[in-house]
Amino acid sequence: MLALEKLRKTFHEGNTDHVVLSDVSAKVNAGEIVALVGKSGSGKSTLLNLVSGIDLPTAGDIRIANVSIPALTEQQRTLFRRKNIGFIFQFFNLIPTLTVEENVLLPLELNRCLTPEKRHDADRLLDETGISAQRYSYPDTLSGGEQQRVAIIRALVHEPRLLLADEPTGNLDSETGRHVMDMLQRLVRRHGMTVLLVTHSDQVAAIADRVFQIGDGQVRESATVI
Amino acid sequence: MLGVSSLRYLARHRWQAGLAVLGIALGVAVVIAVDIATTSAERAFVLSAETLFGRTTHSITGGANGIPERFYRELRVTHGFRETAPVVEGYVNAADYPARQFQLIGIDIFADSALRSFTAEHTGGSYIKALLSRPTTGLLLADTASQLGVSVGDTIALEIAGRHHALTIVGLLQPRLRTTRYALESVVITDISTAQELLGMTGRLTRIDLALPDELRRDKRLEELRALLPPGLTLTDAAGRIAGMQQMTHAFNVNLSALGLLALIVGLFLIYNTMTFSVVQRRTLIGIYRALGVMRREIFFLVMTEALVIGLAGTLAGTALGIALGNGLVHLVTRTINDLYFVVTVRELALDPVTLGKGMLLGIAGSLLAAAAPAREATTTTASSALTRSSQETGLHALLPRIVVIAVVMIGLALALIFGSTRSLALAYAGLFLGIVGAALLVPMATIAIMRVCLPVAAKILGVFGRMAARGVVAALSRTGVAIAALTVAIAATIGMGVMIDSFRTTVDHWLGGYLRADIYVTPAGDSGGFLEPEIIDRLRQTRGVASLSTGRYLQLESMSGTTTMMALDLPPPALPAFRFKEGDPDKVWPAFATEDVVIVTEPYAWHNRVGVGDSVELPTDHGMETFRIAGVFYHYGSDRGLVMMSRRTYERHWNDRAITSVGIYVSPGTDAAAVRAALTRNTGGEQALSMRLNREVHEQSLAIFDRTFAVTNVLRLLAIVVAFVGVLSALLALQLERSRELAVLRAIGLTPSDVWKLVMTQTGLVGFTAGVLAIPFGLLLSLALIYVVNLRSFGWTIQLSIDAAILAHAVLLAIVAALLAGVVPAWRMMKTSPAMALRND
Repeated sequence: MLALEKLRKTFHEGNTDHVVLSDVSAKVNAGEIVALVGKSGSGKSTLLNLVSGIDLPTAGDIRIANVSIPALTEQQRTLFRRKNIGFIFQFFNLIPTLTVEENVLLPLELNRCLTPEKRHDADRLLDETGISAQRYSYPDTLSGGEQQRVAIIRALVHEPRLLLADEPTGNLDSETGRHVMDMLQRLVRRHGMTVLLVTHSDQVAAIADRVFQIGDGQVRESATVI
Repeated sequence: MLGVSSLRYLARHRWQAGLAVLGIALGVAVVIAVDIATTSAERAFVLSAETLFGRTTHSITGGANGIPERFYRELRVTHGFRETAPVVEGYVNAADYPARQFQLIGIDIFADSALRSFTAEHTGGSYIKALLSRPTTGLLLADTASQLGVSVGDTIALEIAGRHHALTIVGLLQPRLRTTRYALESVVITDISTAQELLGMTGRLTRIDLALPDELRRDKRLEELRALLPPGLTLTDAAGRIAGMQQMTHAFNVNLSALGLLALIVGLFLIYNTMTFSVVQRRTLIGIYRALGVMRREIFFLVMTEALVIGLAGTLAGTALGIALGNGLVHLVTRTINDLYFVVTVRELALDPVTLGKGMLLGIAGSLLAAAAPAREATTTTASSALTRSSQETGLHALLPRIVVIAVVMIGLALALIFGSTRSLALAYAGLFLGIVGAALLVPMATIAIMRVCLPVAAKILGVFGRMAARGVVAALSRTGVAIAALTVAIAATIGMGVMIDSFRTTVDHWLGGYLRADIYVTPAGDSGGFLEPEIIDRLRQTRGVASLSTGRYLQLESMSGTTTMMALDLPPPALPAFRFKEGDPDKVWPAFATEDVVIVTEPYAWHNRVGVGDSVELPTDHGMETFRIAGVFYHYGSDRGLVMMSRRTYERHWNDRAITSVGIYVSPGTDAAAVRAALTRNTGGEQALSMRLNREVHEQSLAIFDRTFAVTNVLRLLAIVVAFVGVLSALLALQLERSRELAVLRAIGLTPSDVWKLVMTQTGLVGFTAGVLAIPFGLLLSLALIYVVNLRSFGWTIQLSIDAAILAHAVLLAIVAALLAGVVPAWRMMKTSPAMALRND
């Protein structure tokens, strides 16, 4: 599903080049949940940005469902991301000028597939996650846990092939984080989605099928699931 | 340390700080430029007048026929008024230099040297003999001669009242003082007899200048002098005459200054916006400062110091820009003064410390005033608070009802100021500015209402982008509100001025259509005035196709109370409908006008002199000061100081003058006016060159002068819009900067760069649309105030309101285009910003 081939990413800082990723190769199978763990500044978020096509590698290739992401133009990458990738952020990043429902339906509208059936699916997800009552509210009136649940529904509603989650519980208390992760796991398993999950938390990494350790520019698979 | 942090903040946000500096600079520049332009013109006039008046304390002027020359001799020789100098003057055209008009001043150079320094400087010149002994000789300023390529011994062709004369230059004036050189730049000096011959004033003088002794003895001498004055001559004081001339342009200058202030007000919105944004953006930082023990007043001081830095930078830049702009503006201002009031040439900008000080004070004080509210807001940040944007916006929304109440109170106060007095222009402007600020305070609430209407439409057309854009305008009201208010004020000013000028133009156009009844208008060729020769008038009358004539005698009457412009008219019946009366019944006015000692006056004359039907006008006739009853007040837009009109028959009863300055020709029905003009030209071909203009041509030329008069207004309007444009650009940049995370998220979930572009531009378009829509009612109210209050109080004219839908449509379009243009930079920046960079802070 996702293949990283000799991936390299360097940032220029002043006169020096800072190597964040160096010849990283890895594979993630379809339907797999993979956790990416590492210290702050180890390149976890950079890797997510590269996978999503938001950023481009200095060298190497990223293939999602056999499509080489770096080979695509900016426009093609965006359209590919719009259709095939869902994003969950640490700080929720809901659109403040859209209601909860509109935030959730946004990917469907962008993909021009806002059919009654899809709307019904979105309603069901809202019901299932207990957000239905706040569907007409604006994000800033919701608690952190509620906002992240909305963000998860937004990331899943258009059934992307790949879900990228960047510290999804990093801004939540542990109890709320646990509830959110339960919900995330349940939904992605049900839809058979592939997930690349960046986290610091052992508890979060525990839901993963495999764990990749990132550090010193390298990605290594941990021998055991934490 | 706080100061360092503050400076670094400004350096990091140099785009925003730079735009605020630019906004203030433009506002200050316009104020200074207007002041420089009007002061320069005024100073040039005063310097020129002072040079030409010299030590003159008083002047004796004559009526229509001037002063008999023998009176001067009696005064000087018999009555011992030694410090006196005769003057014969008039305007002449240099035939070979079509754009040059000269003041021809005929003097007795020896008598004159007692009064004027420039003549005293030149009495020893070798050319004096030639000037006195050779006919038609004159002196020119050396600089002017060099400009014209004229040397001593050359002749220049002068056109006076349609006749050409060759004047030989026998000497060049080289005064020591620069100011004297400026004053003499467009002056030809001749001996008095030459001037009398050229101007057709043989045996007569235009005036006698006197230098009366100091205050103690002056009253006695004045008494003696008054007793000696024969009927028809008037004694005026020189300072009063200069002040009277200055007074003529007073309203014009006040109106220009007010327009300049408008640009500054728009600039102040800009600094308010910048300071508010800088406070809001640093709420967390300010909270940290407070947690570290920084006092509230220190926070206030910090923000105010930043405003001072911005204000100071803007003011300094604005001062420099203002001087440059003033240089350009002075040409437009002097052209209008030359068209409407008197001839003045500005060679040097008046960089008055008061002007510069006023601009600097306005810029700095305005900046601090605009920053006071955000600075106070900054002090309310508590150590523990890290308010979210939404809660700040909620705070603003909660404040809105109170803001609306303040706005309504301000507008009420503005109306009280405007209508509380009936004549004060200053109070009218104070009210107008207060009303503008009040109206601007209504903008946030009105924006919410407009976006409520726009949202479903935008959603229908653009889907989610439309919804996001419309909601974004309201969601960031603390930013968009100020930008929309600034743009609304600028566009409202455009509408207000546009509707006023258009109404004025339409009124003048209609008035010209009715007032210009004759088919052909005849005057001596050139713009220097003069009389039409009697035989010419006879030939005009006898030309085939001419049904009747109207004649006019235009003259300026000097008296102690100032200058009165008068026309003595002989009107045939077809000319009478030209006069539409504001006061007075035409059926009663015309019989009285024909037979009694009555006058009719124009609306501005009645306004400025506070007179109406039944009141009287005192005029210096050849028999002394005489009183004429006002029989009617009529609409007339030809002069903003006003005119008195009298029938020819009445005029000839009181003035021993048969001169005619203009003729209106009414052609026989069914006759082609152009063909008659050709016949008139053939019949009058002789020594006096004539200007014969068809009705249509006079109409068009009058409107062309009207348009020229408002050129300077249009420049200032444009500058106010430029300032508003900078304001919108600044606000949008701030807004989009703040939204960079949100837009990066949108990019992450699949918005293409062109989608981001569409979103940002839709929002900025809505900002422009809102400003445009709100500017319509505000602009129309402004136009009503300009037409029915400012214009009336400045000039006394009644202007019929005429609203051209195109002006309103253009204004809305202008607002949208300005906002879209201002949105290009932020949209481009957001489109090009890597979402990875924007999300990196996660």
